[in-house]
Amino acid sequence: MIRLLLGALLWVCASISWAQVLDFSEAETRAILRHGPWPSPWSPDPTNRVSGNPAAIELGERLFFEPRLSPSGKVLCATCHAPFRGWQDGRARAFGLAETDRNTQSLFNVRNNRWFGWDGAGDSLWAQSVRPILEAREMGGSQAEAAALIRRDPELSCRFEKTFGAPPPADDEGVFAGIGKALAAFQETIVSGRTPFDDFRDALEKGDRQAAARYPLAAQRGLKLFVGRGNCSACHFGPAFTNGEFHDTGVPFFLKGGADPGRHGGLKKLQANAFNLLGAHNDDRSGSSAVKTRQVAIEHRNFGEFKVPSLRNVAQTAPYMHNGSLATLAEVVRHYSEINPDRLHAEGESLLKPLHLSAGEAADLVAFLESLSETSSALPPRLPSTACR
Amino acid sequence: MPIIDAHLHYSHDAWETVPPKEAIAILRKAGLKRALISSSGDDGQQRLAALAPDLVIPELRPYRSRGEIGSWFRDQSVIPYLEERLGKYRYAGIGEFHLYGADADLPVPRRMVQLARQHKLFLHAHSDVDAVDRLFKQWPEARILWAHSGFDRPEKVREMLRKHKNLWCDLAFRTDHARGGKVDADWRSAFLEFPDRFMVGTDSFTPERWYYIAEHASWSRQWLGDLPKDVAERIAWKNGENLFGGLLAQ
Repeated sequence: MIRLLLGALLWVCASISWAQVLDFSEAETRAILRHGPWPSPWSPDPTNRVSGNPAAIELGERLFFEPRLSPSGKVLCATCHAPFRGWQDGRARAFGLAETDRNTQSLFNVRNNRWFGWDGAGDSLWAQSVRPILEAREMGGSQAEAAALIRRDPELSCRFEKTFGAPPPADDEGVFAGIGKALAAFQETIVSGRTPFDDFRDALEKGDRQAAARYPLAAQRGLKLFVGRGNCSACHFGPAFTNGEFHDTGVPFFLKGGADPGRHGGLKKLQANAFNLLGAHNDDRSGSSAVKTRQVAIEHRNFGEFKVPSLRNVAQTAPYMHNGSLATLAEVVRHYSEINPDRLHAEGESLLKPLHLSAGEAADLVAFLESLSETSSALPPRLPSTACR
Repeated sequence: MPIIDAHLHYSHDAWETVPPKEAIAILRKAGLKRALISSSGDDGQQRLAALAPDLVIPELRPYRSRGEIGSWFRDQSVIPYLEERLGKYRYAGIGEFHLYGADADLPVPRRMVQLARQHKLFLHAHSDVDAVDRLFKQWPEARILWAHSGFDRPEKVREMLRKHKNLWCDLAFRTDHARGGKVDADWRSAFLEFPDRFMVGTDSFTPERWYYIAEHASWSRQWLGDLPKDVAERIAWKNGENLFGGLLAQ
């Protein structure tokens, strides 16, 4: 009798678990599986000869928290990319020495990017990393001042030599490129951890419905919308939830007395940048890494386009959009739900159509986005700092 | 080089964010000789025309708001709107309107074509080949400015230009004809075969794109510099002056 009761209880439990996994179609399942596995494989950046190098990571970490890279002594990389705020600043628009025009992007998984910054003005992480040092409203520095700091500070100078195998060179540009590459090596370690979504995705792949049933139903319904009717995964694609490209999503992009050119301006900056991958500081002698920079063309449509951000840890990185104009994930969902097609060119972003989500559907989509938050950190343990010898 | 921008909109959502005085200043700063402007609704370009009649070539759009792009051709109320505006103001053309395939033969577009005929106006059609053919069938003597050159291939554009002697093409929101200041070979052939039938245009489909007009003019001057001077001048402004200037003088 007891055995019979236990059997019935197990059957009931199993039924409840089964009932808690929505019925995903084959197409939906395929789309979901494309968002993993996580962490995704990564190999060092061939354009940066110290990518993945422990000495470079240590130097980069020091530089990331080094206020003297700004002549003001008041602004460091971590001012805007604060580790305790999801590697951003929680502000609508970044504030270094003054307020800028754009929201600070999180550095989580920044190593996976193809283009860097909202406008893609950087084609490598190391080139992007030195940009804020020179910006008047961010750190307000110069190549000469940054290079002089590395040369005169014994600790930084020693670490530079340890990283690059030679003392800081006489030319400022060479030292500056080294600063960028060390900063990049450090930022490559900023990887987000696994999330409830990843556990669900892997369970789905293995056919483990019991494990899959641990994923909240609201998140499952939101995921169904994300890969289905919402078509969100067309741009927020792959394990990092971004296609790495640029789109006009109908967010106004006025600035005082003008407009933010977005990708159009970014491409012009990229082409003019001595640190782009077509320049002398690219360590990839094969030339293959520079193909994207050589081939990318400026188009009219790029005006007002901004990069598709990754959605991993998105709940930690409010506010949203290129100018921080949307305060919450609920507002972002509402923006897409009620998107104004009049703002999009008739030949342009046909992917974007008003979804007219119900309140419940919008809440489900938010629940799904919140399930992209890591449950434990994947950051490497920080080693005690010792003096360079 | 002076430029006539043959594809601008100054729609309801631009009036506050880029006020008329600022809009005119943008056009002058970009070195535009004239600009073909339409609005959804029509009051926007009338405000600009009142401020700068030397600069603004008014064009009547059959939309009261931009949201009507996909519905106007079935909306009977568009006709009294057009009639009312045509009775009140002077225009060079009707457009830019979005119209594809057999929709061109629906009653509303047909009546619009009749109005254009009655008022001797050109049609500015954001259309596919089929709709352009149908418009010419309705009114064989129509003058049609083909918005974005139909986003079609240069070979097809040439074919259409050979077929319809009253067809002109704007190059708005296209970048395939030039890169890095150099004209694409297939497009060069089209420009050299039909130097009198192309014009440039920005397409300010959102208010922010008013701040792209100067950039677009400068980009256009670059690639026009890769063409023989007389061809470049025709595409830059002379073709627009010939087509719109004559209509305005009537």
